[in-house]
Amino acid sequence: MNQVITVGDMKIGGKGDILVTHALGSCLGLMVYDPAAQVGGLLHAMLPLSKINLQKAAQNPYMFVDTGVPEMFRQLYEIGGQKSRMVIKAAGCGQPLGNSEMFQIGERNYTVLKKLLWKNNIMLEAEDVGGVISRTVYFDLSTGQVIISSKGVKKEL
Amino acid sequence: MKSTIFSLIEKDVSAFPSMPGAAAKLLKLLRNPDSSTAEVENILRCEPGLTANILKMTNSAYFGLTNRVGSIRQAMVLLGWKRLYQLVIASCVSAMMDKPVPGYDLPAGELWRHSIAVSAAAEGLAKELQLSGTDEIFTAGLLHDVGKMILGKFVEQDLVKIDFETYHNLSFEKVEQDILGTDHAEVGARILEKWRLPAEMIAAVRWHHEPENAPSISQMGDVVHVADFISLMIGVGVGREGLQYEPSKAVTRRLGIHIGHIEKIASQTLEWVSDLTASFK
Repeated sequence: MNQVITVGDMKIGGKGDILVTHALGSCLGLMVYDPAAQVGGLLHAMLPLSKINLQKAAQNPYMFVDTGVPEMFRQLYEIGGQKSRMVIKAAGCGQPLGNSEMFQIGERNYTVLKKLLWKNNIMLEAEDVGGVISRTVYFDLSTGQVIISSKGVKKEL
Repeated sequence: MKSTIFSLIEKDVSAFPSMPGAAAKLLKLLRNPDSSTAEVENILRCEPGLTANILKMTNSAYFGLTNRVGSIRQAMVLLGWKRLYQLVIASCVSAMMDKPVPGYDLPAGELWRHSIAVSAAAEGLAKELQLSGTDEIFTAGLLHDVGKMILGKFVEQDLVKIDFETYHNLSFEKVEQDILGTDHAEVGARILEKWRLPAEMIAAVRWHHEPENAPSISQMGDVVHVADFISLMIGVGVGREGLQYEPSKAVTRRLGIHIGHIEKIASQTLEWVSDLTASFK
């Protein structure tokens, strides 16, 4: 079944599910898949660190990378996912033109993700991050295939 | 070629719908401190649709009123005349801005969500930065991209040129200028002129991508410029051109903005959007 993940949300699923998220601008799209258990999840996190709005983070951990990523892994373990088998891919983290520090939310999202993964000894298998484009992700949980679409062009990640 | 396109765009601006008569009268009354509540009520008595829209918006969680408002008189007392002015405009443009926008690849509803997001983020930012004199910022945010409704079909016709390698690192309003001879900000400003909206609001729309070229500095314009980026970065109404615009460093410097301000407002914007758009359903 197709399931759409909105900004600041996360969904997990299994064989037969396709997880879709649209309009990844500066937000992080994180796709995690366990091919043996055929389970996976897609997170669409908006901002790097929850300390900017702790009240929001308490209501919805998926708005932030630092709270959303651990929560996604926790839920995947519960449905049979195992860390050693997880295949992890990232998309999004774009930013406007120029190099204004004020608008580097995308880069900050990516940095926080990398730190989190590094601390937990997890590698990123593939990524399509940065630039000015907006991305849509289709994540097929029967195969683990990730398709990124932007400006009507699709490619496999 | 460019001049032909330009004259076609001009034609579309002239043919663009005017503010409905009742709304134009209301806006005039609401800007005049000598008008009376009774005069406003008299006009709205013949406008059940507009009245219902205004009351629905008044009761949106965004405005934070504790009791349900059932009359225009109450709305005027509780929200004030400036808010009512904003709601009259929002009610008039919501239906037309809810349509899909070709060229920019915005599906139905996305231009409206983006506009609401920029309105709310701009108000939030103005409050966060403790700016004053920004009463009209809500409407400036709401209408900043109204020009896309005209320019969309021209952008669509020239997509092949627009996707050309040369244009990849150029802020998108400059791509529009280069290919079409004008940009969506300028076209939007022309629509606001046609609607006889206040000059500062028109300037905020006209220069929202090029605040450094504006003849005078406007905090309202500066805040709309930043709020537009916040909304695009969080993916609300982000179209074919993605994030292909360049933020002005002069603007963030003179507003004294830190990344913390931007992230805090971003974290609240989606809730504001859902509160405000729900009141139109």
